[in-house]
Amino acid sequence: MAPTDITEMGLADLSAHIAARELSSAEAVNSALTRLDRLEGKLNAFITVLSEQARAEAKKADDEIVRGQHRGPLHGVPVTIKDMFETAGTRTTGGSKILQEWIPDRDAALVARLRAAGAIIIGKTNLDEFGHGGTSTLSYFGPVHNPWHLERIAGGSSGGSAAAVAAGIGPISYGTETGSSVRRPASYCGIVGFKPTFGIISRHGSFRGAWSQDHVGLFARTVKDIALALDPVAGFDARDPASVQQEIPAYAPRLKANAQGLRVGVLRRFLDGVDPAVRQSFEAALKIFAGLGSELVDLDVPEISYAAMTSMLTSAAESAGINRRWFREHYHDFVPHVARGLAVGMAITASEYLTVQRARHRIREALRATYEKVEIIAAPTTARVAPLLSEGVKGNGDDTRHAGYNQSNLLRLPSMLGLPGCSLPCGMSPEGLPIGMQLIGEWFADQTVLNAAAAFQSATDWHKRRPDIAKL
Amino acid sequence: MNATDKIAARLTLLEGVNISPADLETIAYEIEDNQRIVDELEAFAQGTPWISLQVQPPGKKA
Repeated sequence: MAPTDITEMGLADLSAHIAARELSSAEAVNSALTRLDRLEGKLNAFITVLSEQARAEAKKADDEIVRGQHRGPLHGVPVTIKDMFETAGTRTTGGSKILQEWIPDRDAALVARLRAAGAIIIGKTNLDEFGHGGTSTLSYFGPVHNPWHLERIAGGSSGGSAAAVAAGIGPISYGTETGSSVRRPASYCGIVGFKPTFGIISRHGSFRGAWSQDHVGLFARTVKDIALALDPVAGFDARDPASVQQEIPAYAPRLKANAQGLRVGVLRRFLDGVDPAVRQSFEAALKIFAGLGSELVDLDVPEISYAAMTSMLTSAAESAGINRRWFREHYHDFVPHVARGLAVGMAITASEYLTVQRARHRIREALRATYEKVEIIAAPTTARVAPLLSEGVKGNGDDTRHAGYNQSNLLRLPSMLGLPGCSLPCGMSPEGLPIGMQLIGEWFADQTVLNAAAAFQSATDWHKRRPDIAKL
Repeated sequence: MNATDKIAARLTLLEGVNISPADLETIAYEIEDNQRIVDELEAFAQGTPWISLQVQPPGKKA
């Protein structure tokens, strides 16, 4: 099998070939590393590449599989992880100068579960420093470039993960999200990004951005692959105070590409500031859902117009608390934009933080009532396609400082309230850049979100578009 | 306390950190703007219950 064919495979196919011994883990890992080597100079998607270690682990996986000890869909498969997760014996930087040579002595819960599932971690991906950003330009290790257009951002903070999957460097990557750090880069890079309900995946051993909004999330090209990669890493972990008691995860076996009878809510007032091409693709996506038998329900939830402000202040206060010591000892070692953000957060008082949490509760109650009327809320993931790197941190066009019907509210809503959210490709802009749509479900309705997203992918081929890697 | 004094009081929280005048200007602007945002959110949240964040240890049941 040609290396290019291997890198084009998703997790489901790759895993099936490895399990059937039609393809070795060594071949799969070598193909991913070869592509990584060729593209990394252009993308800057990685902080640490684990070539030797990955090749040794692939050989071990092949030996196990030959002995009939196949562990499941991730066994022998090359994956990447955001450099937010501790890896025993391998440096873990958080994209920061402060930890540029830090080598932890333990694995994060996610990493331990990946190793138990037999996944081969081939590299740790680039990010905004400690997850503080939406562009992946705020890294001590330089900006991530979008494989669809190298002068564009990949989105952040998990931009390296999204760029890697879009470029075919492993079928799966694991990232984190505090505001929009999985769904935004997935949208900009033309892949699927899924953030489960708060507490489904343990955060133990990953850096905290804002503890009440931090999630672990996944990137893949298909929803089926997301479900396959979610099951081995989900589940209760007493070491994460937010972890929830749950059944043994079985999202993949229960995945049904079916949106028949689904009530899909649309908040039309939030579409006013959306770019025409994005809006057009979103409207076309709604027609797909109608064709699949879903009922489109117009919603008006004015409380959501306060979501971005509430999320921003919550995040600022919590991240200042988390980084209090480093702020005083390492202010000038932080990326300047991140350092200024921490300074602003330090000045938020306890009574102000509590007032913000009261507002958050009002929004939560409004959403609880909304999910009596619909199962899913659909919206464009972002108001525009990936901006140019030259536009800097303001290029995303976010407004987190004013109440109103702007898209930033819907982007930050899932992480602020802990709702499951999935971004998936739903169109292309006139300049050839991916457009994403997000589906937001009720708390613990992760399966409903995945099923709806899978139904959309069964009726469309946007997820089959690829950046022109040969030209990079 | 006037607005300038309020900002100055907030900035004392950053005491001991050597922040450049340009950074300080940006930081002071955002701190002041955050007070406006909190005021808006306070009005928005009027009448909403204060939330409880007690967390029971794993495995404990009623």
